[in-house]
Amino acid sequence: MSKLSKAIYEIHHMDTLANQNQWMNRIHPLVKFVLTVFYIGTVVSFPKYDMAGLAGMMVYPLVVFIIGDLSFLDSIYRLRIVLPLVCFVGLFNPFFDRVPVGTLGSFTITAGMISMVTLMLKGILTVLASYILIATTTIEKLCYALRLLHVPAFFVTQLMLTYRYVSVLLAEANRIMQAYSLRAPNQKGVHFKVWGSLTGQLLLRSMDRAGEVYESMCLRGYTGEYHFGDAIHARGKDYLYLLFWCCIFALFRLLPVLNLIGGLFVA
Amino acid sequence: MSHIHINVDQVSFSYEHGEKILEDITFTAREHDAIGLIGANGVGKSTLLKLLVGLNTEYEGSIRVEEIPVEKATLPRVREKVGYVFQDSDSQLFMTTAYEDIAFAPRNYGLSQAEVDSRVQHALEMVHIEHLRDKQIYKMSGGEKKLVSIATILSMIPDIILMDEPSVALDPRNRRNLIHILNEFEHLKIIASHDLDFILDTCNRTILMADGKIIADGATREILENRALLEENGLELPYCMQGKQTC
Amino acid sequence: MHMADALVVPAVAATMYACSAVAGGFSVKKVRLESDPKKIPVMGIMGAFVFATQMINFSIPGTGSSGHLCGGMLLSALLGPYAGFLTMIGVLLIQCLLFADGGILALGCNIWNMAFYGCFVGALLIWKPMMKKGATKGKIIAASILGCVLTLQLGAFSVSLETLASGVTDLPFITFVSTMQPIHLAIGLVEGLITAAVLCFVHEARPELLWGIQDTKKKEGRFSFKTTMAILAVVAVLIGGGLSLVASANPDGLEWSMQKITGSTELESEGTVYDDAAKVQETTAVLPDYSFKGSDSVLGTSFSGIVGGLVVVAVCVGSCYAFKFFRKKKTA
Repeated sequence: MSKLSKAIYEIHHMDTLANQNQWMNRIHPLVKFVLTVFYIGTVVSFPKYDMAGLAGMMVYPLVVFIIGDLSFLDSIYRLRIVLPLVCFVGLFNPFFDRVPVGTLGSFTITAGMISMVTLMLKGILTVLASYILIATTTIEKLCYALRLLHVPAFFVTQLMLTYRYVSVLLAEANRIMQAYSLRAPNQKGVHFKVWGSLTGQLLLRSMDRAGEVYESMCLRGYTGEYHFGDAIHARGKDYLYLLFWCCIFALFRLLPVLNLIGGLFVA
Repeated sequence: MSHIHINVDQVSFSYEHGEKILEDITFTAREHDAIGLIGANGVGKSTLLKLLVGLNTEYEGSIRVEEIPVEKATLPRVREKVGYVFQDSDSQLFMTTAYEDIAFAPRNYGLSQAEVDSRVQHALEMVHIEHLRDKQIYKMSGGEKKLVSIATILSMIPDIILMDEPSVALDPRNRRNLIHILNEFEHLKIIASHDLDFILDTCNRTILMADGKIIADGATREILENRALLEENGLELPYCMQGKQTC
Repeated sequence: MHMADALVVPAVAATMYACSAVAGGFSVKKVRLESDPKKIPVMGIMGAFVFATQMINFSIPGTGSSGHLCGGMLLSALLGPYAGFLTMIGVLLIQCLLFADGGILALGCNIWNMAFYGCFVGALLIWKPMMKKGATKGKIIAASILGCVLTLQLGAFSVSLETLASGVTDLPFITFVSTMQPIHLAIGLVEGLITAAVLCFVHEARPELLWGIQDTKKKEGRFSFKTTMAILAVVAVLIGGGLSLVASANPDGLEWSMQKITGSTELESEGTVYDDAAKVQETTAVLPDYSFKGSDSVLGTSFSGIVGGLVVVAVCVGSCYAFKFFRKKKTA
């Protein structure tokens, strides 16, 4: 499958997930958004070597993935974009930071190894948290949350238009590329001679479409001001959900919970 | 004359430094008229429709919609009365779901949420697509998009509907469905198309254009049966009149 | 070049959010002042256009690999810096909210690294001055390549800075920079060429779409294709040369390998890094005796940590399934 058709498929897929009528999907979008930011903030604020403390933070994705019926495999796929840079940055820590901190049999564990694992764990946890947000919240609702955060309506409208036309233009680009590759079967990408005209054609068509969209808006009373629908109200449940998780995050951030619980058993 | 009508008087139009696209167009459309605007590619059908809703106001001559002259200052009033359905539904539908798109116009007119809701519901019922209310636009088929496009116009409760090539890219069933729905709308409609069978099924009056001029204006049957006239102007008899099949 | 959440600490993320928000707010104000209602649909759809074209593979002649369009420079040449910047933010936000490309926390950094430089530096410092006296094909090519190379270099440098400021890596700054910059030099060149090709096409087909060009009439000769290419070659050599100088100042240079790095840095890491680590540990850990200070305690705490982890996982998973089980019963 080409990159373009993959992207089209992915948009459909995420959208289907976000549009399910699950209880996670019904939580107020701003609550989920704030919670996600708070979670990611907490995760990345863990010290460089605090692997054990950070490991406790996996409680959130663990619970939500199971209760929310989210696919873990599907979320792993999202790691592909973010993880390479994280790995590149983290992979060198063991070589620079060789302070021994313990042994495992004959194998010496160094501080660098711990900081590398911590960093990668951070990478994984943050992406999982983002995935939880986007797999249970539609873009429309996220845009609504952005508006509640006082992002200008002007910008939110533009964002919704981009979202609306991403699938249209992806399909258009996909058709162009299919037509191209049918006539240039042995080429992997676009030949440099048509770099300009192929992309340029799509650009001009997009501009024309923008013109038509503007006309369509004007014909229906648009005067530069955008009117949104009615509010989605947060219920008591939503606040409770937010409060519950924030307490858990704070607890895991401030106390070595795993060790304390483990201590009960190991003594 | 009832209050619903359009008067077009000696209208000419050309783009900047370009050749004339429309020349000396004159006609009057009255309530209950269903006008088919036919002609080969590039004769100015779409341009004419766009002039009627003021998407271009730099024309010569006079266009009046319900006695309001179509010019920059009067556009909001004109556009409340006239709905225009684009050929490309993807350009017409710019919101994410059918509901949002159909609610766009009523919201712009400052209606209350309850009124917006009832308008949307009414529009959906008129084209029989209540089930599509919350569906995402990009997941819809071409036929569904066309019907939603029409609903977005109906939520404005217009007196007049203009349509540009409505039957393009519809399968036979959707096409028949659309014909039904259009026939239910009884005010004034103008449909630009070169699908002559479609015009035959939906319109009682036909205007034939060629090279930016009106060549013929009369009852649909009379014009569409006139093989010589049609062929002279780059068209052919509707299929159902070609004797290959009966309709 | 998407920055990940894991690479930034909250302070850096917040700082970059603040910077991007100021630039964004300023742009919203500027675009509003233009009071062109058509701007919104154009920006929205151009955002979608950039999103789609980012997925097209452009094959690079003679290499077998392919390049991509990022879009910042292209957008600013079409929409100007302010609208272009907002459009790019839209693209980055959609990528973040739809595909989890680039994190939510790191979004501020990403906007700064990829959108701010591409649009503000690209449009105001390069495109506008160069197109002041009318556009020619040569000037468009020069501006595109120069703009893309420069803005990508700035972006890559910012990535290094932000990572460094977050203190997540032990990689020496100079090594990090000397890896990031040359890679992005190549990427920038290719992107510049693609951008140039597209803009030249637009210039020929619909010159009125280009931003900041007062005189649309073609002026002949003053800045020919050949001189442009010559200037570009010189610029490329200068940038490349400068970078390799920087890189060679660092003994490991461009062709560093893992072995080289580990060999040359072994000695210094014994002393300074350990002290640093201890200091970091003491100042940041809430419970100082928890985690590693000596090898004994580290094993002790890790063992209890692992047991604790297992217990927590078991409890969570167990109660989740119990919760689901009873829910189903209730609804059934």
